Amino acid sequence: MTAILQCRALSYRYGDGTPALENVSLDLEEGRKVALVGPNGAGKSTLMLMFNGILRPSQGQVLFRGEALGYDASSLRDIRRAVGMVFQNSDDQLFAPSVYQDVAFGPANLGYAAEKVKRYAGFALQYVGLAGYERRPPHHLSGGEKKRVAIAGILAMEPEVMILDEPTSNLDPASSEEIMDMLDELNCGGKTMIISTHDVDLAYRWADDVVLMMDGRVAKRGSGPEVFAEADLIRQARLKPPLVVEIYRQLAARDLVDGSRPPAGVLELCGLLEKRWSGPADDKRMGRICILSVDEGEPGRAEMNAALQDAAADCIGAMGSSAKILAEQCGINLDFTYGVIDKCILKALAGRDCLILTSGGMVQHAQKRIGEYCRDLGREISVQRLSAPGQTTKSLK
Amino acid sequence: MHDLLDDYAHANALRDVSPRLKLSVGLASILLSVSSPTPAAPLFVALSLSLATVLLAKIPARIYLQLLLLPFSFAGLSAAVVAFMHGSGDVLLSLPILGYSLSIREDGGLLALLLIARTLGGMCSLFFLSLTTPMIEIFAIFKSLHMPQSVIELSMMIYRYIFVFLDQAAMIHNAQVMRLGDAGVRNRLQSFAMLCAVLFLRSWEQGERLIVAMDARCYDGKLELMEQTGRAGRGEVAAAATYLACALAVSALTWSAGGLRLL
Repeated sequence: MTAILQCRALSYRYGDGTPALENVSLDLEEGRKVALVGPNGAGKSTLMLMFNGILRPSQGQVLFRGEALGYDASSLRDIRRAVGMVFQNSDDQLFAPSVYQDVAFGPANLGYAAEKVKRYAGFALQYVGLAGYERRPPHHLSGGEKKRVAIAGILAMEPEVMILDEPTSNLDPASSEEIMDMLDELNCGGKTMIISTHDVDLAYRWADDVVLMMDGRVAKRGSGPEVFAEADLIRQARLKPPLVVEIYRQLAARDLVDGSRPPAGVLELCGLLEKRWSGPADDKRMGRICILSVDEGEPGRAEMNAALQDAAADCIGAMGSSAKILAEQCGINLDFTYGVIDKCILKALAGRDCLILTSGGMVQHAQKRIGEYCRDLGREISVQRLSAPGQTTKSLK
Repeated sequence: MHDLLDDYAHANALRDVSPRLKLSVGLASILLSVSSPTPAAPLFVALSLSLATVLLAKIPARIYLQLLLLPFSFAGLSAAVVAFMHGSGDVLLSLPILGYSLSIREDGGLLALLLIARTLGGMCSLFFLSLTTPMIEIFAIFKSLHMPQSVIELSMMIYRYIFVFLDQAAMIHNAQVMRLGDAGVRNRLQSFAMLCAVLFLRSWEQGERLIVAMDARCYDGKLELMEQTGRAGRGEVAAAATYLACALAVSALTWSAGGLRLL
């Protein structure tokens, strides 16, 4: 893995001399999902604002792909295109009077031709599932929609790294899960994601790398289970352990599960319990998971319904905006719209058949995740890839 | 918050009619209303545009009347003053007050009527425009009329942040009322002063955040504008032209008749 963003002995002081960051050195690898956690005032936002040159460090350097950031106009332009930032408060970010104008702002200022601006903005809006909202003014949108527009505004500039300051604050649980799912999807497409959050469960579950910050320093960095295993540090940082870890600790203390490695999530916790209590010779019927890729062809309602009949699934989940939009168009009742893979595995373990509608790179992602899970726990869930329903008609034409 | 004009502008039955046509009708009606020397043309404009707003654009009549009440009450007050203070001619009405007699003379009465009619005509035209046409479309027209870029961009941002600050003002006000900031005139004045001060500071901070937000997306002096929506259909143009011709005819006829005496 190559490092995409690096900090070298970074320090920052506010105008009045109060230190915000002290001697922070950090390498962030390309294609990872990184969560910055820590108490208020730990320097998370300050650090994020350094990554695309909005703040200039008092000492030290920020490197993007091995090159130190320059602070002249043209270097700043390059870095801000490559590293996009979504602010915590959407109203700070959405300043144009209509959705389209806001999303088109970045591409227009990058000097793209009118036609290209339109294409990029259209694509970004489609991606976040807000096609058709172009003429709406931001004050007619819900919190979740505003966040999507803010993300689209960054996406339209095709960044390599996306930084999101508290992406789920002020959103209802379903909206925040959907936003996080979207970030997963973008990450599958190769973008490096950096978020800051106070939601420890979210950081634990979502991030590949967790960076714990305290008093302007990096206190600990590692995978979720590694960082949150440090109970004392977590307490000092005014955080709390994720619920899964808490439950796991209590179970382990009563010797109900194997206490050597905390589980990555609810799914793994269930796995640990099952491993301990049902034994390997369990011949309970397992459900089947079908994955249906929807990006080839444009399946109509009838074709989708036929495909659903074939799959004969008990529950249906959709991952990614294009699958969700298609499901809505075809009037398919979705059981899961977020955390789809894990929920389908859980259902399959309980003997139900599931169908996942998704597109593009998410197909491999789902297969990989299910495969890893089966390998870790020594269970076998059959995964079937269905051909896209639109394809048959396409080949007939 | 749903009673904002802006909400109706985005959801009314005339939303998709060419904004240019609506703007032309609105502006022409305003000009016609304020330039007419007799009350007939402005009243005609007021009546027909009110009907258009309520029947064609499907704006609820109750809301529309409420909107009209405000300018109308202003106009009524000033018209009363004008009526009593002005002019010569026959006495139409006389009120004896404390031994003096306060009277409306013919000229004053006519002028007052004209004042009310013009206000009504102008306001109805303005409401027709603002209830059927979202601001973003009007910005696009400004652009095609070669208004200076900076004026358009400034107005776009002002428009956007009106709603942010409106929300903030409402929140501050609620916070004050919650702690009895509206008990008594003295308190109310003080609360209002505080609200203004806080709002000013917040807008200043918002401005700084706005600069950061724009810089973070490579601001280079370009703010994209919406493309203009649909061209006006022939029927629509014909209808608008007929209406304007009628209004003009009413104006011209009453004008040439030497100003109809009190209809």
